Amino acid sequence: MGTVVDRLLQLVTVLLGVTVIVFVMITLTPGDPVEIMLGDMKAAPEQAEALRRDMGLDRPPVERFFRFIGNAVQGNFGLSFFHRRPVIDVIAERLPATIELTLAALVLALAISIPLGALAAVQKGGALDRAATIGALLGVSMPGFWFGILLIMLFAVQLGVLPVSGRIGYGDEVPALTGLLTIDTLLAGRFDSFAQALRHLALPSLTLALPMAAPLMRVTRASMLEVLRSDYVMFAEAKGLSRRRVLWRHALKNALMPAVTIAALETGSLLGGNMIVESVFGWPGLGRLVVESIFARNYPLVQAAVLLYAVTYVLLNLLADLAYTLLNPKVRL
Amino acid sequence: MDRQMLALGAVLVALTLPVGAAELRVGFSQDALTLDPANHRKRETETIIRNMCDGLLTRDSHMKVVPEVAESYRQIDAKTWEIKLRKSVRFHSGAVLTAEDVKFTLDRLTQDNAMGGQTSPRKDLLGPVSSVDIVDPQTIRIRLSSPWPILPAMLPFQELVRKGFVDRVGSAGLATQVDCVGPFKLVEWRRGDSIILERFADYYGGSQEIPPVGPAKVDRVIFRIIPENSSRVAALLAGEVDIINELPVSAMRQVDASGRAKVMRANGTRTFFVALNTAKKPFDDPRVRKALNHAIDRKLIIDRVLSGTAVPLNGVLSPQAFGFNADLPEYKYDPNRAKALLAEAGYGSGLTLMLDAEGAFKDVAEAIASMLQRAGIKATVQVWEGAVLTPIWRDAAKRRERDMYFTSWGNGSLDPSDIMLPTLHTGGRGNSAGYSNAKVDELLDAAETELDPAKRRALYSEAQSIVNADAPWIFLWLPQDLYGVSTRVSGWAPSPDSRINLHRAMVK
Repeated sequence: MGTVVDRLLQLVTVLLGVTVIVFVMITLTPGDPVEIMLGDMKAAPEQAEALRRDMGLDRPPVERFFRFIGNAVQGNFGLSFFHRRPVIDVIAERLPATIELTLAALVLALAISIPLGALAAVQKGGALDRAATIGALLGVSMPGFWFGILLIMLFAVQLGVLPVSGRIGYGDEVPALTGLLTIDTLLAGRFDSFAQALRHLALPSLTLALPMAAPLMRVTRASMLEVLRSDYVMFAEAKGLSRRRVLWRHALKNALMPAVTIAALETGSLLGGNMIVESVFGWPGLGRLVVESIFARNYPLVQAAVLLYAVTYVLLNLLADLAYTLLNPKVRL
Repeated sequence: MDRQMLALGAVLVALTLPVGAAELRVGFSQDALTLDPANHRKRETETIIRNMCDGLLTRDSHMKVVPEVAESYRQIDAKTWEIKLRKSVRFHSGAVLTAEDVKFTLDRLTQDNAMGGQTSPRKDLLGPVSSVDIVDPQTIRIRLSSPWPILPAMLPFQELVRKGFVDRVGSAGLATQVDCVGPFKLVEWRRGDSIILERFADYYGGSQEIPPVGPAKVDRVIFRIIPENSSRVAALLAGEVDIINELPVSAMRQVDASGRAKVMRANGTRTFFVALNTAKKPFDDPRVRKALNHAIDRKLIIDRVLSGTAVPLNGVLSPQAFGFNADLPEYKYDPNRAKALLAEAGYGSGLTLMLDAEGAFKDVAEAIASMLQRAGIKATVQVWEGAVLTPIWRDAAKRRERDMYFTSWGNGSLDPSDIMLPTLHTGGRGNSAGYSNAKVDELLDAAETELDPAKRRALYSEAQSIVNADAPWIFLWLPQDLYGVSTRVSGWAPSPDSRINLHRAMVK
């Protein structure tokens, strides 16, 4: 338990480091948010000056940095330059969509990769093993952008069975409790809306899940092969336990550890939002927002988002470590 | 009795929620940044807001400025305009619009710190507006600190808000809530995903000069945010949306061939050109600048690279702009003439030049460079990020070593004051060519204070002729905005101000 507290304390150091690095990078990157904001209809210099004052950009960088830290400690990340609203609000509006998509992709990726990896190991060299290996190669090498468009052309334009974009159909509004539409619709008892939410989730989550499933499948297969060769599995088989029980209860549980690490790291990066998949499917998530903000030099939003990423990463790693102890009691934190 | 009430209730529900309500969906490239008409500087945001919020003036399909919420407007003297308001114009909340709301809207736009401590980023779009006086409940006077003939051309950029509403929700509340006088009311804004609007039954009808006048034809409008071009096209082809903006050129054929939708286009308002650094050799010599103009086959680039989606220009203004001079001579494509002019200027042995461009325009810039090669100029393209390139060319000292700049200037007001003054007047903030001609300055200055439209037109016309002859730029083109429109849609056509006003649109 003490270790968990230690790890959380380390988080503070990580966050401070990340803040400094991001601030320095932002300050050194050329480009002026005021110019960009006024770019559509080029503005008078006085207008630019007024905006610069509003945004606090007329202050020297060091002062801006300490002001940011001082406010951030109190949970105030400032106003998004372009939305002219608090950064926290803007991020909070977009975060649930990203979380929902990430969780769906994670579940899908695990559902595909773990059984497939395990079966491929058991039937090593067989037809399934070879098919899975080729599938994994495709999964890793297919660009998400291209694959997403392909899915849209097939399922939305040609077959007309799934929607091109968005999160839910119109008229399917439910009160937002968690912000995750699949859960909110179920809580509201609206099964038709739930089905709508799932239909909208299908293509983007599949697009994200495949490249995630591929390495997971390969790792599960490799570690399963290793476990299957170990003494305790042979011993369990010698004891006369059924093959199925040996495989799923004894072998797979131990073979899952590397997969857990990879799943945690992948989830961490997915929670940052996936710019490409979110753009292709018009998914209103965080990734799109952050990338747009980087191009527009929307500093307050970028800073807050990067801090959020850092927290997520550290916490997910911690969770992965905790999961080890559950899977293998020999591991102690 | 109860049963009767129930039956009546059921009828009322049936009336308010018509089965198969007409719904028009727009696949739109960007979400609104805010719903506060005064707190942004983005065309896409304005396009969305304009369907909920009307202004004093607007433009018809020929881009003529016409009254909207205003009944009439007239100039009292060089620095005063009077606007009469229509009666019985209602906000979505039911309140009737008053002169006080109009004054409040304009004050909020033009006074410092008037938006909860912030200054509107649209302040300079109302230039020298200094104060607004209420003459009577239906009349206001706008006072200017200096003469500004283009006030009517700039008023269509501003939408009216209700004073009582803003007092209640504050500027922060106005970012997400709407109480305006436009044809549609806000139902829900799902950030990053969609904006859902429904018909405002008590709408006053819109501009009397743009028929048909009356409430919106469709029951519901949905702006669906689909940033990715291919997905926007797919949504159109799948019948999920009815109108898409920013149709990519590469999808034009596919859309036309689909049978479900067609391509529609309108001239934009952004003039593209290559600014030549006139402060520097060899561009200080007009013969060189003319040679460069003769070296470019604009029509070929428009046909091949831009798939015919632009209009060639011989000057700075759009053909739709006020004061457009249609008689400017064209610099015909003639590489031999270009070579001769260069030789005459003493550069017969060739020139080595660099063309700066943003990544998005790399293809076009390279086409220009390769044409310059044919005229004996070793031109190369350097691609930059816009955020880096713009400040360099804005500043005379920073651009001292640069040669040529592929750039553009937007002219949303379609008035020369808004484009010629910044880009061609000595020291203008967008004068990246460093162009300076005393006569042009004099004409532009005179036009700024000239109240007689015919005389203003003549002043601008002459200025355009001089600029055409001086050739501080390689004159290029005006791109067209492309839209994909479902065959279900009628009563809507794209317009040069890139607005998508859906008040009069219908769906089958």
